[in-house]
Amino acid sequence: MKSYISILFLIILLSSGCSKFLDRPLENQPQATTIDYTDLSLMYQPVSGVYRTAASGTFGKWISVAIRSVHSDDVVPGNDDAGQNAIHNFQNDVTVKSYWGINDMWISMYSVVLGANSALAELDKFGKNIPANDAEKNKLLAKYQAEVRFYRALAHFWLCRNYGPVPILGIESNDPANLGGVTKSSVEEVKKHVISEMDFCIANLEDARPNAATHIGAVTKYTALMLKAKAAMDLAGNNNGSPYWDVVLDCTNQIVNSGKFSLFADYYQLFKKPGKLCDEAILELQYSDFGKSTGDIVISGGPGEEWGNFFFFQGPENTYSPVITGPGWMVPSQKAVDFLTARNDSIRLKTTIQYCGINGDPATYSVTPDGDTISGNASRKKYFNGKAYSPRSQMTPDRIDYYGANNNVRIMRYAEVLLMNAEAKIRKGQSGDAEVNQVRNRVKLAAIANVTLQQLLDERHAELICEWWGERFNDLVRTDQAATVLPGFIKGQSEYIPIPQAQEDVNPRLK
Amino acid sequence: MKKKFFRIFLPFLLSMIAHFTTYAQNKIVKGTVTDDKNAPVIGASIGVKGTVIGTSTNEAGAFTLSVPAGADSIVVSMVGFKRKVVAITGSTVNIQLESSSTGLEEVVVVGYGTQKKADLTAPISTVNTENMLKRTTASPMEALQGSVPGVQVVTSGAPGSSPNVRIRGVGSFNNENPLYVVDGMFVNDISFLNPNDIADMSILKDASGAAIYGVRAANGVVLITTKKGKTNMKTRVTYNGYVGVQKPTHVLKMANGQQYTAFSLQRGSVADTGTVLLSSRKYGGSGLNPTTSTDWYDVILRKSALLTNHGIDVQGGSDKVTYSMGLNYTYQDGILNALNNFKRYNGRLQLEARAFPWLKVGFSAIFNNSVTFSPNNSAFLDAYTASPLFPVYDSTNVNAFPVKFTAPSVIGRSDDKNPMASAYYNYDRSKAFQILPTLYAEAGFWENKITFRSQLSQIYGSLLGTKYRPQMNAGPGAGSTVSHLTSIQERTTNYILDNLLTYRDGKGAHHWSILLGQSTREERWRQTRTEADNVPNVEESWYTGQGTPNAAYYGENGTRNAGLSYFTRATYDFDNKYLLTATFRADGSSKYQTKWGYFPSVGLGWVLSKEAFMKNQRIFDFLKLRGSWGQLGNDGVNANAGYAIVKTGNSTSAVFGSTAGANGEYVPGYSVNRFFTDISWEVVTEWDGGVDFEMFKGKLKGSVDYYNRKTTRAAFYRPFPFTYTTIYGNWADMQNSGWDIALNWNDKIGQVGYSIGANLSTLKNKVTNLGTLPSSTSGFPEWTAEFPNRILVGEPINYFYGYEFTGVYQTQQEINSDPVAVHYNQTSSSPIVPGFPKYKDQNGDGVLDDKDRINMGSYLPKITYGFNIGLTYKQFDFSIAFQGVSGNKIFNLNRGRLYKASTSLNLDEKFASSLWTGPGSTNAYPSAYALGQGWFKVSNSFFVESGAYLRIQNIQLGYNFNVGKKSPIGMRVFATADRPFLFTRYNGFTPEVGTNTGGGYPVSGYDANVYPVSSTYSLGVRATF
Repeated sequence: MKSYISILFLIILLSSGCSKFLDRPLENQPQATTIDYTDLSLMYQPVSGVYRTAASGTFGKWISVAIRSVHSDDVVPGNDDAGQNAIHNFQNDVTVKSYWGINDMWISMYSVVLGANSALAELDKFGKNIPANDAEKNKLLAKYQAEVRFYRALAHFWLCRNYGPVPILGIESNDPANLGGVTKSSVEEVKKHVISEMDFCIANLEDARPNAATHIGAVTKYTALMLKAKAAMDLAGNNNGSPYWDVVLDCTNQIVNSGKFSLFADYYQLFKKPGKLCDEAILELQYSDFGKSTGDIVISGGPGEEWGNFFFFQGPENTYSPVITGPGWMVPSQKAVDFLTARNDSIRLKTTIQYCGINGDPATYSVTPDGDTISGNASRKKYFNGKAYSPRSQMTPDRIDYYGANNNVRIMRYAEVLLMNAEAKIRKGQSGDAEVNQVRNRVKLAAIANVTLQQLLDERHAELICEWWGERFNDLVRTDQAATVLPGFIKGQSEYIPIPQAQEDVNPRLK
Repeated sequence: MKKKFFRIFLPFLLSMIAHFTTYAQNKIVKGTVTDDKNAPVIGASIGVKGTVIGTSTNEAGAFTLSVPAGADSIVVSMVGFKRKVVAITGSTVNIQLESSSTGLEEVVVVGYGTQKKADLTAPISTVNTENMLKRTTASPMEALQGSVPGVQVVTSGAPGSSPNVRIRGVGSFNNENPLYVVDGMFVNDISFLNPNDIADMSILKDASGAAIYGVRAANGVVLITTKKGKTNMKTRVTYNGYVGVQKPTHVLKMANGQQYTAFSLQRGSVADTGTVLLSSRKYGGSGLNPTTSTDWYDVILRKSALLTNHGIDVQGGSDKVTYSMGLNYTYQDGILNALNNFKRYNGRLQLEARAFPWLKVGFSAIFNNSVTFSPNNSAFLDAYTASPLFPVYDSTNVNAFPVKFTAPSVIGRSDDKNPMASAYYNYDRSKAFQILPTLYAEAGFWENKITFRSQLSQIYGSLLGTKYRPQMNAGPGAGSTVSHLTSIQERTTNYILDNLLTYRDGKGAHHWSILLGQSTREERWRQTRTEADNVPNVEESWYTGQGTPNAAYYGENGTRNAGLSYFTRATYDFDNKYLLTATFRADGSSKYQTKWGYFPSVGLGWVLSKEAFMKNQRIFDFLKLRGSWGQLGNDGVNANAGYAIVKTGNSTSAVFGSTAGANGEYVPGYSVNRFFTDISWEVVTEWDGGVDFEMFKGKLKGSVDYYNRKTTRAAFYRPFPFTYTTIYGNWADMQNSGWDIALNWNDKIGQVGYSIGANLSTLKNKVTNLGTLPSSTSGFPEWTAEFPNRILVGEPINYFYGYEFTGVYQTQQEINSDPVAVHYNQTSSSPIVPGFPKYKDQNGDGVLDDKDRINMGSYLPKITYGFNIGLTYKQFDFSIAFQGVSGNKIFNLNRGRLYKASTSLNLDEKFASSLWTGPGSTNAYPSAYALGQGWFKVSNSFFVESGAYLRIQNIQLGYNFNVGKKSPIGMRVFATADRPFLFTRYNGFTPEVGTNTGGGYPVSGYDANVYPVSSTYSLGVRATF
């Protein structure tokens, strides 16, 4: 019997040998704790990560761009999507609330916020390894924090413009337990938050034009000044006496007076490859195919999301080319065409409006100024957005997919700074003629004198027409013209798209 | 260390030597075994009581056995007869066996051992492998559909797919499938096995049976023993083969060209009309009357596809060595009319040798070699949605090459793909090789009262996947997509090392056994992927080096888990009347932050029919009451890092410097996902009460069980606001309860033998706790916002959530008098008109809002049932098996696709022909126009349909005869029809809707399936000699 007990011992001895047997981290999932925070040369890496988050699958994702674009009278959905049609008609009911697109857009925007908060926590860890007396490194840390906080603020700003009162998520959102119970901040609170964030950014960001920044195309002091001016402009509303116009004026003056910016001479090429990160650019999302026709590529869609390519979804349904083609979403409205035509705004018209065959007839074709042949289509859509048109001749040779690859997405331009500067001046009783005419001059329009507020707003409409970030709708709302200009708009009801039902379902405090 | 080793090892050696001496003096015992009619019993096992020594009878019923001097009696057992213990009185022992109709003497494989069926305290179902072989299914679990109570098998009908198996409902949001143990090895799926290789299969359904498998056991355990030879067995060769054809059945009829045209024109968008006009202009017809009508399913499906299986199997044994060997070949052609098929070679080898009288050593291995050409499944979806208004080929599509398929964009259907092109431009081959070797040694001591078994089981698997897309252009524009090669290599290396010590003894009416066990396991998987463009279209050149590589075209992945377990089982019975089983397992797992878990169970049984007061009754031959309680774990819960994960590389790096003159470069970046939570396995606490009975001289057998399973710490991907990142954690508790009933009647009328079997299970599922979460909504990937499902305390998990569709507005007066419609029409740019759906305003406040959403039903069937009838007459036999479910709902996501569609996708014929066309036409379907409008686009019960069905699973007619006189070959020929008939009202390809894991999390009940199920008609032969 003793021998059996011995065997039992043997088994136990064999089996209980190694206590570390069960201690195994996940394969191929590196722990954040393996990052060497003492190596300050890595400190820009979380910042670069945020730029990428903002560039791919979020701000430039097709549905969020489409919703913001069709939420105006410049652009119609182009296809038969009930959700976008309802938003285009300023509906705000149960069908819009459960429309998937507004949920996707909400998540896209907040992904940038959450990504930024995560990066800020990383920067704090690097910061702990910087000696207090190392002024240079501390300055660098503050600059990096400012770059990240800019993107976080931009996301909050856009969320608030679209959804109205929304939660502001700070660094505490890094603990998911805090996400389920957050509450909304008012529109005013969010905009003020953006202004105070921009004050930090202005103080700490690089004093350079973005295309001359250390990281070419990064956000700089001037990007922050422009966002601050936009937030202030929203807060000022239609009240000429609002002190926020002084903020707008001050911020835009700083940009203008820096002497670093100038308008790109060719408005048509501004939106195409030659205009990438020109001296007019204040904020662009950067993309590349690295000059190769296949392989690695950075586009506005998330991983594997060809559909998310900014240029593709606005591409015409063209049967003549497998390159310049797309599903034809976001079609310039007839109203937009008529507006530019009536103004004799020929350069802007040529730039913004491209034609799908003759009147959209599928049996016909048209030729773009760059010589690309574009057919009509079954839906008889007449136009496609020329500001998102990428001529074949400018694309990487041999590339036949990812239409528009290697072009950037323009978000903020110096031309808008000039117009904001002019608006602040006009509203304060000063003359905005110089700035307005600078913008008109570029598109070969005759100078005008004693520019009125309405003339300025029309100029703004024309300059930014069919761009994607909701300026037209916001201008109509903040100047209290929406109810008269936009059919279906009801003041007090139609300013914002509803908080997505799916979001309320997981956090009832968002109601 | 060395000293210690000797201290332990020496007694061990000594004990070995002691055994040699004990067995040194043997004597020979001979005899025959006959049945009650004096016919020889072939293959009966003969064992010396208290030892592992044994043999079996030859074809004359005779045996010869070398018996140690001390042995006093031998034990004779044979399936269908009562076990008999006979004293050794001389050198010849003749034994007559009494036939047993009960099968209670049957030995059942339980976890890490065997038990007599009569002594079980747990509801363990043993599978009739004979009936299983009647089904011509490629995977063994499919063959069980509808035949085991409490086991729900959901097959998808997609070629080569594994079925979903649910034992006693859903206790987990994660892996629902049970643990499969093949000859001691843990596997997740047994599709690699050939049904013909299986000797025994037991299903452990409750905690008392399964708890010995601890953290892996929560979904039940399926134990599989492959075929083995027996000692002194005459070599037996079996050939089993069939050839059949698969025919797509229940192919959903889609709207034809005319119906589609009518639907499109009524839907009324410019694009819809444009498509109709372009079709007639380009492909025939005039104006709004195109003549093209392509039946895409007819185009992409084969009329019939071959299915064949041939297996040969050899079993035998001498007095020291037993062996068995099997070879099998399976070929299944896919029903898609393109390169897709499945070919598998199986080999099985088993060898066991009695190295010493007290020591057995053995080896078994299952080899698999398979080549699968997978179809491009999106071709089926393309066939579902594609317009019938364009033809397959178009010779005017000049730029298209290599094949001139029609480009749907020429009729304005740029979202459509040509389904035949999708099927054709696909080369997806997986070559897989797997070997499952098992090595063991089993020693018996102390008259075999103690046995020690050590077993090493392994899986080595490798896979080479090749996907190739040639240079092509679908047209109509110029320019072509370059060729692309993806090459994937995978390897799996898992092992389990088990050490088991069993002590079995008895004294008088007391019998007991103790099992002590220890198990170590590791699971490792690794994958390498490489890709390249511009690879030449010749197979010899399919190496990524032959094309254009790219930094993004290379990736590796892998997983690695380890487990360590200690377990024990004790059984005790008094006079086989009062039964007790208790088990305990301690499980350690590397997957979680909590490393160790403890799983106890206890089972009690009372064999009433052995009591004195039952002596005089004639009704029950056998009656047993059982009760059990236990805890089980489910480590199907995903491994969780439990720490923030950093992502690096190109996907998290931004491009800077992309300017007019430069392409820009990556600046290295990373992002950190810090959304994690500590996680551990789920725990199931279950109790079960049951009764087993045999009545009327064994004619009626049955069992009835009630079970109640409570899952605590159920893990699921909890959605959070603001992000698609769900956080996986132990967030909920839930409960499953119900009845399992099985009844079998066997009798004879004259020369006709018949049997009727029926089984039925009920299931009630409800979520009992969600922690601080008020509720949670989720759904099918990409459709979570449109068609959510919801988890709420007190309701079944993931019920369909939305508005109640109550009918269709017939007239404008009806709309004007409905406050809900009036309110909506005040602001809507697309107002409600007759033909629009009506939703119930649940709270009667005159506005349709989020508060009006309801539980639209659950995907879990309330009842799962099966029944079968068997008839035998002389040499003929006939059987028919039915199975079905009821009480479940299906969310018809294929119809739901119309919801997101920006143009008129095609729809099923029933839908197209039932659309509302005017007042009084129908109250069940909205108008075509309504389908495109916003009011239709809320989650509503129009899409939720009953999932009840009854299917004839299998019909078989067989004829048995012998060929030859001297050593006859037993032959059986049979004709089989598998899945020939289906009765359901569901509007889809099949009401069997499996679990989708495409979104990285499992979701059930949403029907996005677009494959037809196929019926198989086959002829087969079995020969044994």
